[in-house]
Amino acid sequence: MAELKLIGFLCNWCSYAGADMAGTARMKQPGELRIIRLPCTGRVNPLLILKAFQQGADGVLVSGCHPGDCHYNEGNYYARRRLELLSRMLPAFGIEPERFHFTWVSASEGARWADVVTQFTRKIEAMGKMSGAEQGTPPAKASCEAGVGAPDEQTGSEDAVPA
Amino acid sequence: MRIGVFVCQCGTNIAGTVATDKVAEAALSMRDVLHAETLQYTCSDPGQRAIIDAVQKKGLTRVVIAACSPRMHETTFRRTIGQAGMNAYMMEMVNIREHCSWIHSDIDIATDKAIDLVQKGVARVRRQVPLYSTTVPVTRRVLVIGGGVAGIQAALDIADSGLPVTLVERGPTIGGNMARLDKTFPTLDCSSCILTPRMVEAKQHENIRLMVNAEIEQVRGYIGNFEVDVRKKATCVIEDKCTGCMICQEKCPGKAPDEFNAGVGQSKAISIPFPQAVPMVAALRKEYCRQFINGKCGVCKKVCPADAVDYEQVDEITTEMFGAVVVATGYELYDWREAYPDYGGGQYPDVVTSLQYERMLSASGPTAGHVQRPSDGAEPKQVVFVSCVGSRDESVGRPLCCSVGCMYIAKQAILTKEHIPDSQSYVFYIDIRATGKGYEEFTRRAQKEFGAIYLRGRVGKIYPSNGQLVVMGTDTLSGGPVEIEADLVVLATGFSAARGAGELARKLNISYDQYEFLSESHPKLRPVETTTGGIFLAGACQAPKDIPDSVAQASAAAAKVIGLLSRGEIETSPMVAAVDQLRCIGCFKCRDVCPYNAIEALELRDGRQVAKVIDTLCQGCGVCNVACPPSVVSLKGYTDNQLIAETMELLR
Amino acid sequence: MNDDSRKVSAAINAPAAAEPGRNAYSYFPGCSLTGSAGEYDASFRLTSEALGIRLDEISDWNCCGASPAPHHWSGNLGVLLPARNLHIAGDGHEAMVAPCAGCYNRLKNAQHELTGSEELREQAARVLEEPVRYEIEILNLVELFAREVSPEALAERVQGRLAGLNLATYYGCLLTRPAKIMNFDNHRNPVSMKPLLRATGAQSDHFPFKSECCGSYMGLAKKEIVLRASRRVIEVAAGLGFDAIVTACPLCHQNLDLRQGQINKAFGTSLDMPVLYYSQVLGLALGLGSDDLGIDAHAISARKLLAKIGKGAGGPAAATSLKPEANQSTPASIGTIPAAGS
Repeated sequence: MAELKLIGFLCNWCSYAGADMAGTARMKQPGELRIIRLPCTGRVNPLLILKAFQQGADGVLVSGCHPGDCHYNEGNYYARRRLELLSRMLPAFGIEPERFHFTWVSASEGARWADVVTQFTRKIEAMGKMSGAEQGTPPAKASCEAGVGAPDEQTGSEDAVPA
Repeated sequence: MRIGVFVCQCGTNIAGTVATDKVAEAALSMRDVLHAETLQYTCSDPGQRAIIDAVQKKGLTRVVIAACSPRMHETTFRRTIGQAGMNAYMMEMVNIREHCSWIHSDIDIATDKAIDLVQKGVARVRRQVPLYSTTVPVTRRVLVIGGGVAGIQAALDIADSGLPVTLVERGPTIGGNMARLDKTFPTLDCSSCILTPRMVEAKQHENIRLMVNAEIEQVRGYIGNFEVDVRKKATCVIEDKCTGCMICQEKCPGKAPDEFNAGVGQSKAISIPFPQAVPMVAALRKEYCRQFINGKCGVCKKVCPADAVDYEQVDEITTEMFGAVVVATGYELYDWREAYPDYGGGQYPDVVTSLQYERMLSASGPTAGHVQRPSDGAEPKQVVFVSCVGSRDESVGRPLCCSVGCMYIAKQAILTKEHIPDSQSYVFYIDIRATGKGYEEFTRRAQKEFGAIYLRGRVGKIYPSNGQLVVMGTDTLSGGPVEIEADLVVLATGFSAARGAGELARKLNISYDQYEFLSESHPKLRPVETTTGGIFLAGACQAPKDIPDSVAQASAAAAKVIGLLSRGEIETSPMVAAVDQLRCIGCFKCRDVCPYNAIEALELRDGRQVAKVIDTLCQGCGVCNVACPPSVVSLKGYTDNQLIAETMELLR
Repeated sequence: MNDDSRKVSAAINAPAAAEPGRNAYSYFPGCSLTGSAGEYDASFRLTSEALGIRLDEISDWNCCGASPAPHHWSGNLGVLLPARNLHIAGDGHEAMVAPCAGCYNRLKNAQHELTGSEELREQAARVLEEPVRYEIEILNLVELFAREVSPEALAERVQGRLAGLNLATYYGCLLTRPAKIMNFDNHRNPVSMKPLLRATGAQSDHFPFKSECCGSYMGLAKKEIVLRASRRVIEVAAGLGFDAIVTACPLCHQNLDLRQGQINKAFGTSLDMPVLYYSQVLGLALGLGSDDLGIDAHAISARKLLAKIGKGAGGPAAATSLKPEANQSTPASIGTIPAAGS
């Protein structure tokens, strides 16, 4: 079986720091997950998660601060509402909702982070790869572009090259 | 576009598990990457110089650094590329240490992951644009929360630099737990003699405003400009009028528990906690006051010569701006009763906590320094100390070390012998942890000079027998059970965070651990900072610690505060939201979700209403970015395009 | 034994009584209760009846597996023997009661091991020749009474008959440990007997040795250990002024009661501490006869204690039962005091 592709969206203040702590404590974890850092889970656009699945992610993990502990006071509450809805919509796109996991890990919970990664990876391992993903056909045809657009290949300002 | 990739080996921290050469090689084949190299320690001076050299020689316009966590060195490297003449934000850090080399042992897995992460970093930095920070003026005033020795020290140090300080204390006096101690280890300095002058100094300092009986109600704002509501609790005593004559306390008929004396002895419903209290002002506790319980009494009001008693007083909330906050909320003793039924669970009066014993030893305590056991007032001859009650005990969910128990037991054993020369002390211990200056020598003195008998083992049970207490324990050195008939048992109870520490942390938006001790930003390099800029920690609120460590940390926090506010203004992060006003449809969903009221309406010349971000208020959470229906609100540094590019790169 | 006393039948816990079968339990006596601890069995049956609890003895029950022989003969026998008991106990019952702490402990342990091991379940199925049923709820005697009898109702009924006594509750080790498997009470400070004992009018102060070791079955291999351990328990209880030790374990009882004479002989002490089963104490409170309850069968006489009960009985209704062991002729009805007559 081809290697699983797992993406984690972590808020900078709690979960990213928690993952750092797990690293500092040398807590071994499965190697499939790749982490993308965000200021807050409130920055996670549900469409971004769909995009990830569309591009062949076998599992997507979002982790933020515990309720009440958000660095921005309420960002994680927005995330909770948005992602709860997303999770209910996933079956409509042909994605098992179990492939998506939203949780809280604080900056002092290194052990918990290692546990979350391990459990999540094991779960997706048991589920296997997204069907069709190996043939290169994205499972979900939902158009994400409407909302977030395709990434620009070129950004606005061309760099001035110093002489 | 000219991108340079620098792969840090971090000695063997990264290179031990990640084939850094391969990562650098792979980076060279990534789009627009024209330079890649490995560096032994990127954060070191030669490492940073190598980056600057490469930027200048090869004309790099963007840089990816694969090293440790950006939470560790992002600011370091932003400065580096700034020195190289680039915009500081044209750099992306990729975490191949905490998130890679340290958590994997298979070199292939770790190397593959590191390459993926670099690829992600390149994709992201390709879409980065230069960002410029602005500055905001700061409020040059400081809030210190907690009036124990750490809070007093921080307040004095900051005030001495010329900055005004407001010192907020929840209780009726400053001084904290240290004011309750009789002597301090290892010098046996009289605690009051060294603390009370500092308390008075804090009270008299021209730059310090003392607020006792006050608690933090709410905190808004950010580093440089915190807006804080402080609740001044009604004590039914007009502070300015009270002269501290204590006549009210003398005449008050309402008995109340003596909190200052840890429940040893009794106090009155209206009282001054102890004769050296600062401020020397009485406070009334309504729950014990006859005036409030029965609706009639009024003795204190009648006898007060200064007319300072006011039963109608109500809580007052004041709001003030502060540039920085020092949290020094300290600790309280772990409540052992529930967890230790084997020690009687609080049923035996002659099983006391170390703080209660401290009050019994103190000349200013309720027994005037005569050690009397609570049950019958007799002088104890056999005193047993039990260490690690609620510390280092996984079975009650408290694996942490209290860090001072070993030392204060030695101190109390010495003082016991001094108070009662024909007494014998026994100390049950797990290990003797005496790591400070002069500490080991001190515990030896307790044994050699003062004859305390140290037994290495835990106590399993305490039970009453013939007017004494039998302490059953083990002596693991001789390998057998031990039983001692004790007149008094002193439990060396561990530290808990101060009541409500977690709640305060949430108000301040700072992190705390499972015991509600407040979390420092980095355990080694940022020990007094919190994860929230402008808020600093001092003393035992962060973790159990002794007086010298608390004072040292308080001075460190003060230095940080003075440094922060010395500039008069601070740079704000440029990673804030921005609105593309041409495409904005004026729905203001962004304004509805913004936690900071950082979005306002702007009327364009054609009369169209569009959203506008107030840069100085925006904190960069990005909630608005997601809420925007046409996706025209964008968080700089974390744009949709950047995040999608990262995601797609990882899934290629 | 007076037959009439057996008619004493009333459910104290009204809702349970209203639903027949709800308060019927599968009863596993085990070897001790049919042998050396016959009085435990007798008092349990009588008290249960008086409290409206139906006990249906499991027919053809076998060794619980706790005795050293099967336990050590083969590791699996210690699970398979109780597995059969669990299997047959479930017929028509949702819960079973094992008053012997040793049986209770082994049955719970076996259930735990069966839950965690498919291999063991398969082995049990091979022995039983059908899939093993092991999920039945297992109660000890203390747990059963705590569930079936409300302290308020008991207090109402017994009118403080045991007032004046101070009873030391002694739980030993088997009822609560290992805590995660037994999942009964706080293993460091068990308190389950206390509410009902206090409801009888008796005092039940904190007994610091309530979960200390009695010496267990070291009585066979190294008697001194038992004598030393049990002496401690008894001495501390005596020192704290308790009138009796109350237990719910035949082995504890044996060590504390039967060996008390050996203790006195070995150490030159003169201990004289009655040791009663929890069911006997509740029976006394309900006005059952002490000889029916088997109290006279103990090595240490409870005479002094029984005399105290007479004095302690308060209230006009209880005053009629000054002699609890006297012949009783009138069965009690719900909520009333068993009237004593002679």
